[in-house]
Amino acid sequence: MNRIATLLRRVWLLVRRDAASRELEEEMRLHRELRAESLRDAGVDAREANAAAARRFGNATTTTERARDEWGFASMNDLLQDLRYATRRLVQRPGFTLSVVGILALGIGATTAMFSAVDAAMLKPLPFERASELVAPVGINIPFDPGPGQKWRGDGPALATFDIKNLQAMPETFASVAAYAAGGLNLADEEQPLRVSAGVVTADFFKTLGVSPLKGRTFRPEDGVPGAPSVVVISWGLWQRQFGGADVVGKSIPLSARKYEIVGVMPRGFSFPKESDLWIPMSIPTTFETFASFRGWLPATVIARVAPGVSTAAADARLFAKWEQYIASLPREPGKRHSMEATFDDVRTRGAAPALQATLIGDRKRGLLVLLGATGLLLLIASVNVTSLLLSHGASRRRELAVRAVLGATRGRVVRQLLSESVLLSATGAIIGIALAPLLLRILTALMPPALAGLAPPHIDVRVLAFATVLGVLTGLAFGLWPAFGATRDVSATAIKAGGGHGATAAGTRRAQHFLVAAEIALTTMLLVGAGLMLRSFDQLARTDSGFDARQTATLEFSFSRGSATPAERGTRLEAIVDRLNDVAGISAAGVTTDLPLRADGGIAISVKSDNPAVTVKDPFVRMLAASEDYFTAMGIALKRGRFFTRADNAPGANVAIINEAMAHAFWPGLNPVDRTFTWGGDSLPIRIVGVVASVRESGLEHEAPTQMFFPIRANNPMNVAIVARGTLSPSALLAQLTTAVGAVDPSQAVHNVRMMRDVIGASVASRRANTTLIVLFGALGLVVSVLGVYAVTSYAVAQRARELGIRAALGATRRDLLRHIGGNMTWVTIVGVAAGAGLAWSLSKVMSGLLYGVTTHDAATFIAAPFALVLAVVVATLVPARRATRVNPVEVMRAE
Amino acid sequence: MNTPTSRTEIPPGTLDMLILKTLARDGELHGFEIAQAIERTSVGVFLVEEGSLYPALQRMLVKGWLSGEWGRTSDNRRARYYRATAAGKRQLEQEIREYERAANAISRVLRAAPAGA
Repeated sequence: MNRIATLLRRVWLLVRRDAASRELEEEMRLHRELRAESLRDAGVDAREANAAAARRFGNATTTTERARDEWGFASMNDLLQDLRYATRRLVQRPGFTLSVVGILALGIGATTAMFSAVDAAMLKPLPFERASELVAPVGINIPFDPGPGQKWRGDGPALATFDIKNLQAMPETFASVAAYAAGGLNLADEEQPLRVSAGVVTADFFKTLGVSPLKGRTFRPEDGVPGAPSVVVISWGLWQRQFGGADVVGKSIPLSARKYEIVGVMPRGFSFPKESDLWIPMSIPTTFETFASFRGWLPATVIARVAPGVSTAAADARLFAKWEQYIASLPREPGKRHSMEATFDDVRTRGAAPALQATLIGDRKRGLLVLLGATGLLLLIASVNVTSLLLSHGASRRRELAVRAVLGATRGRVVRQLLSESVLLSATGAIIGIALAPLLLRILTALMPPALAGLAPPHIDVRVLAFATVLGVLTGLAFGLWPAFGATRDVSATAIKAGGGHGATAAGTRRAQHFLVAAEIALTTMLLVGAGLMLRSFDQLARTDSGFDARQTATLEFSFSRGSATPAERGTRLEAIVDRLNDVAGISAAGVTTDLPLRADGGIAISVKSDNPAVTVKDPFVRMLAASEDYFTAMGIALKRGRFFTRADNAPGANVAIINEAMAHAFWPGLNPVDRTFTWGGDSLPIRIVGVVASVRESGLEHEAPTQMFFPIRANNPMNVAIVARGTLSPSALLAQLTTAVGAVDPSQAVHNVRMMRDVIGASVASRRANTTLIVLFGALGLVVSVLGVYAVTSYAVAQRARELGIRAALGATRRDLLRHIGGNMTWVTIVGVAAGAGLAWSLSKVMSGLLYGVTTHDAATFIAAPFALVLAVVVATLVPARRATRVNPVEVMRAE
Repeated sequence: MNTPTSRTEIPPGTLDMLILKTLARDGELHGFEIAQAIERTSVGVFLVEEGSLYPALQRMLVKGWLSGEWGRTSDNRRARYYRATAAGKRQLEQEIREYERAANAISRVLRAAPAGA
């Protein structure tokens, strides 16, 4: 109680400090006057009495200060004074201040922006209720029902697969199980057909994620089964954009030429999976209906919420046990692996029920962490550099500090003074850095494609600000403490006499600086090696034989709306489009396919049996595509054997296919597969191979091409197609020709992804390009910062040793000798730094292994080139100030002393 | 008045007690009066250093042992008059008790007969 009252009085005094000081002074003045009067009364001469009173009072200022000290908060008051003094000093040295603040602002800003990106992508929980309970079981099938009278061309008799029903049969483990797939649909609109993102989801999808509709309802198990009315749930965004937030529940919208009744609207902010505009139901089992509006099939993900009281680890263990039972129950054929065993391998490596968040982050995790590490390195380089700058700064102030020490400042007081300067610098740097962070974040997100960014857009929030503040304070203390203690270590009268500060203490400072520069160079080497490895990977990727030739090739994609054309009509229209294009002067070839290279976002793989009994293929699933006659020419896919398709191959019963080299190698190793046959599914008719084409990379440039087989486009008249045209026309003319040709055949047809093939490649490498750009950017910044550091330290050394150099010159040292003298130290510092950095990079580069392509983590070229570039930069940064030293005029230097 | 050379510094730690005692006895005094009162009642033995008086007064104000009110001296000059608060009086009693214990102890040590005698 008393203590609180005391504290309040102290605070009150702090608030009215100036008034209280005046009162104190008035009181003491009265005391002096009364003392003088009493002495006068005792008969002392007036002047002497005044003097005696003043003397007795001692140093009035000291007394006032000591009295004021009793008010408490002395240190805070000193701090304010220190800060005022520090501000004055820093303003007097704009060059020094600007460079330190700039370097720090950059370091802290970049780290903060990167942290918010990583935070959004990885640390923030998914925007669902109790998101940590959500898991994404691996390898779970969704059963398929071909419907009465339909024949599913599957692999032999239907097997009891391990599917979503097995999960639903574990209610003690999983409270709720659902599945979703993401695809695109055409939304017909009065003005123009619109492409929307659709989630195909099971009835329990919304319940599993824990979201309720804003209006209306979500799906029921009977939705989506054949014959049920078509229903759709729309997102808040689509509701606002397309319907202006009007009452839409119960209305019908045309989606891919079918009427869907809107039954619900989801709340704002919910657009999972991906950026879904709307959701349509997925029945279990799925039917031909389910994915009919897509490519007949979409990859689906199974999710589940663990039951209350069950940990995700326990759920994982229980599910894994079920898997083991299932695998053990499979019928075995000697020498043959069941296809589910491959799935089980996946379960073994990834876990039976990994967290949904981890699954969604997936491959991005490593890239983001490496980027965060690179930013951290950059911040470290910036801090070391600032420390080194402060050290030279502190050393050049030795005299000033010595004077202050002689005038009675304690060492603690001087350390505090120096610390307040570095805290002021780091605080300013941090504030500017935080102010810069949103801008840097915008640049960062612009560089980062959605593939790398998180579910929620990154933004600077309280957590990020807290991170940046802690970062700023820590760097301030870290780079401030050492120079502060270093500068005050030997503050004595000798320093005043010592003039410029040659001698033991200056040498000590130089040693410390050399250490810092070596550290800086080591860190930069690591950053450069990282950047080099990424660059080399990118270069390797660019050299990769993708299997096609992207130059002068334009594409667009479209989907026939359901019911808008019979299969035969679809085929006729496609033929008409291609014929139109092939007639255009300047277009050398035009064709149609179902799947563009590097765009593996759908399609199916089918188990194939070849006519070659000598080979058992480990993975008999071959990707199935369709292509028109000139597609291969248009896409620049080389023919290796046999021939391309002809129109005659479209005839019913032709049963021909073109396979890629990967399939040829897998099924007919060392043989010519042309005119060999294979069968697939339950089809008894053998399919004859007419040609072999180059393998085309499908799911990204860095992944080997899978086995592929192409069928004539008219053999299945697909719903979803891509038109391809190659020609000497300009890209814009080529693209215009494509849209015109489609429009001429059917004006109501919506098209999307109208772009050059090189943009398709660009999109497929976008996240790698972003990673590489950022790391190279950080590497370049690190290089600039450390070169500045080397330059500053050398300049400082030259300035400090001007006298010594002058004497050497006077004693007959040549410019060469002087250069060697100044540069010699830096050579060793550089060698040590580069060697240490390369060594660290060598042992740490393993963390990047998942990010690299075509190079090893110990790529020799990188480990030679990166240090070499750094050494070169350091040599330049040393030579410039060192050459200045050699022009020292000995006479002038001596005179100046 | 004695000459300054014969004066004694106030023993450390006792100034607060002396100030409190003076104020408890005399009621309201300003700084100079406190110093004079201590010098007078100690018969000129104690010299109150102004350099310690004002820090001590401020300290006791902050601790709530004293209250200070601005008033006028007899010749109409502004002065801050100090008064011991209830907390200050309690503190005085405690300090006197402790001082007496210590003083008794010291005098017992000083008067102790030589061992074995």
